[in-house]
Amino acid sequence: MTDLLNGAEDEAFRQEIREFVTANLHPGTRDKVARGAPLTREDFARWQQCLFERGWVAPAWPVEHGGPGWSARQRLIADEEMFRQHTPPLPGFGLKMIGPILMRFGTPGQQARFLPGILSGDDWWCQGFSEPGAGSDLASLRTRAVRVAGGWRISGSKTWTTYAQYANWIFCLVRTDPQAKKQQGISMMLVDMASDGFTRRPIRLMDGTEEVNEIFLDDVFVPDDQVVGEINRGWTYAKALLENERFGIGGIGRSKHLLQRVREMADAAGRGADPEVADALAAFEIDIMAVEATTLRLLNAAEAGARIGAETSLLKIRGTEIQQGLTELMLEVAGPAALPERESEGAEAPFENAAYQFLNWRKLSIYGGSNEIQRGILAGQVLGL
Amino acid sequence: MIRLDPPDDGVTMLKETAERFVADRYGLARRGEMLRKPDDQIPVHWADMAGLGWLLAPVPEAAGGLGLPPVQIVALLEVLGAGLVLEPVGPVVMRCAATLARALPDAEAVLAPVLSGGCIEVMAGGEEAAPITAMRDGERVTLAGRAPLVVGGAAARAFWVVARMESAPVLIRVPLEKAGVTRFRLVDGQAAAKVVFDGVSCDAGEVITGCAPALAFGADMGLLGMLAETSGLIDALYRATLEHVKLREQFGRPIGRFQAVQHRMADMFIAREEAQSMVQLAAEAMESADTGFRARLVSAARIKIAGSARAVLRDAVQLHGGMGVTDELPVGHMVKRLLVLTQMGGSRATHLKRFREAA
Ligand SMILES: Cc1cc2nc3c(=O)[nH]c(=O)nc-3n(C[C@H](O)[C@H](O)[C@H](O)COP(=O)(O)OP(=O)(O)OC[C@H]3O[C@@H](n4cnc5c(N)ncnc54)[C@H](O)[C@@H]3O)c2cc1C
Repeated sequence: MTDLLNGAEDEAFRQEIREFVTANLHPGTRDKVARGAPLTREDFARWQQCLFERGWVAPAWPVEHGGPGWSARQRLIADEEMFRQHTPPLPGFGLKMIGPILMRFGTPGQQARFLPGILSGDDWWCQGFSEPGAGSDLASLRTRAVRVAGGWRISGSKTWTTYAQYANWIFCLVRTDPQAKKQQGISMMLVDMASDGFTRRPIRLMDGTEEVNEIFLDDVFVPDDQVVGEINRGWTYAKALLENERFGIGGIGRSKHLLQRVREMADAAGRGADPEVADALAAFEIDIMAVEATTLRLLNAAEAGARIGAETSLLKIRGTEIQQGLTELMLEVAGPAALPERESEGAEAPFENAAYQFLNWRKLSIYGGSNEIQRGILAGQVLGL
Repeated sequence: MIRLDPPDDGVTMLKETAERFVADRYGLARRGEMLRKPDDQIPVHWADMAGLGWLLAPVPEAAGGLGLPPVQIVALLEVLGAGLVLEPVGPVVMRCAATLARALPDAEAVLAPVLSGGCIEVMAGGEEAAPITAMRDGERVTLAGRAPLVVGGAAARAFWVVARMESAPVLIRVPLEKAGVTRFRLVDGQAAAKVVFDGVSCDAGEVITGCAPALAFGADMGLLGMLAETSGLIDALYRATLEHVKLREQFGRPIGRFQAVQHRMADMFIAREEAQSMVQLAAEAMESADTGFRARLVSAARIKIAGSARAVLRDAVQLHGGMGVTDELPVGHMVKRLLVLTQMGGSRATHLKRFREAA
């Protein structure tokens, strides 16, 4: 596979990453990632610990908050190399979402209190935005926070909360001014999940995993020092956070990793040289290249001082389409061998996770703002339609 | 001659009975309980299906069946497919019984215990990718090879093995005791089996030869059954999604009012219509004496329907949003069954080739 970032310095940096991963990644975790098997909290936590100790856990954070001081180019290389070596992609709720938001909008006290736990993995965060009635139309959320002495009391429910079962903190969007226009009465609050009045129900997904949850908040108390920024400005923070999320969702490293896996499956199925399959693989490689080049252009522009906002939607759209397309090619290559339940006696390596990955990754075009919503954002905010 | 007539009263009645049957017995919770039964057990409604005459329906009268034409049978299978039934009607009745009825002189006696709902026998082998061979040595014939995935095979008491002997296809009945069966579940929860035939032997007299036309016919009938189930699922997903986009509101209106959603629903409707047309076409072609014509149309239907199924699967999940990826709505279960159906039955390349080459 062609590496676009392939100067001598890039190569040296790649080498450094590779050596670190080889020396530190737990073989059991590595094996699961290589096969597309589901990961446990332990897989993530163990790897986070390694990265934390090396100072690499938060590639995009500034040095003063514990980042490694990598350039955007190095971050892309690190992401790509780590995926290539089958490291587990750490959930981004703390590291990529609330962490950067606290750095930008949080108080020094909040930064001192929360950022270290995010880096070390002592705290696990989850994202409490979506509600049963507020998905694409997030601003219609109805979970309410009412003013009380010293803080707020939250009542309502959240849903689709990824990895809430692993988390001890959740950042929530709540309505603090029911009279104001939709977007204007929303605030962002940090909620301790051990609070009284907090309950959780797992939701089983069609691939059999329980990645997401429903959350119920019944008069949960949140002290004033756990409100992010200003009251009723939560929408602004949420938008900034979602744009960060989309930069990540472009997932070039992830796409390349998947392409590599599909190639291996094609070889295992004896179809690596089949022109139909070989052409499809080449076409995906080119698609990934186009997203990578576009990501680099956007990052360079951002480093040169341009403000990148809604444009990141295009990375999310293309990245997820490529990844979903690759899971379909995986199915094509695997044929009936994809069908036995994984871990059953019928399962056949390396195809045992193909159907599950196809099913699980339907989510990519739904979460983080669905691809329809992203196209709407591009058309409205970038194209001015 | 292709007619594509609208359904007659017989078809309508058959469909209605099947729809009631599925509605009464196949709610998600009940189906969940059925999935937790041991996988070597015959699914509970098998005998009742026999009682309704569904197992005898497509079998020729000469073999003791009702001899219903394929166009009527596909209507039934569409409903059973959409209903996510776990009884292996397709593999047993469409493929196995259709084959045996044409391959055996005493088909009626052989099929009776199965079609009366007492037991299950299925075909195994016959796939290009994993051929099973039969070696003749004097009066004994010995098999080598395995069938990696036999749907309906988990509860079977015998396998009708399609093997190659002296470069011609033959059929050999292997009872359960002689076969190496490993049972497991598929992604959609239904039971299946991997069956190893290495070293299984029988008297040369038990080998059924000269059955190539019956095997070809049975394979196409089996495929037709799968296509009918697929088409039924496409219709069910279309309907569930249509209802969802009418009810689910975001931004103060039903999401079905957004043009991006409308266009996808319109495409889903087109896919459904074309799938139904192609199933009917292939069903009528099964009655043709022209085997090349039959092969062309069945492969054409398979190509078209597999493509439609994938597009409908994607859009049905997508338009359901988060709800679409859960195990808590019928959609997720239908999607998994659709996946199972489309991963089997031969690759796209195989069917395109057969379409091009069948005269
Ligand atoms: C696996 C998974 C994990 C998730 N994790 C989290 C999490 O950790 N935290 C969290 O807060 N949320 C999470 N989400 C929720 C996710 O952000 C929402 O599912 C998403 O915003 C879509 O909302 P919805 O599911 O309510 O679908 P809906 O908003 O009901 O949308 C249904 C369909 O309608 C389309 N649609 C809606 N409006 C329009 C329009 N105006 N124009 C065109 N099409 C439209 C959508 O694109 C979609 O196809 C997760 C979701 C999934 C599936």
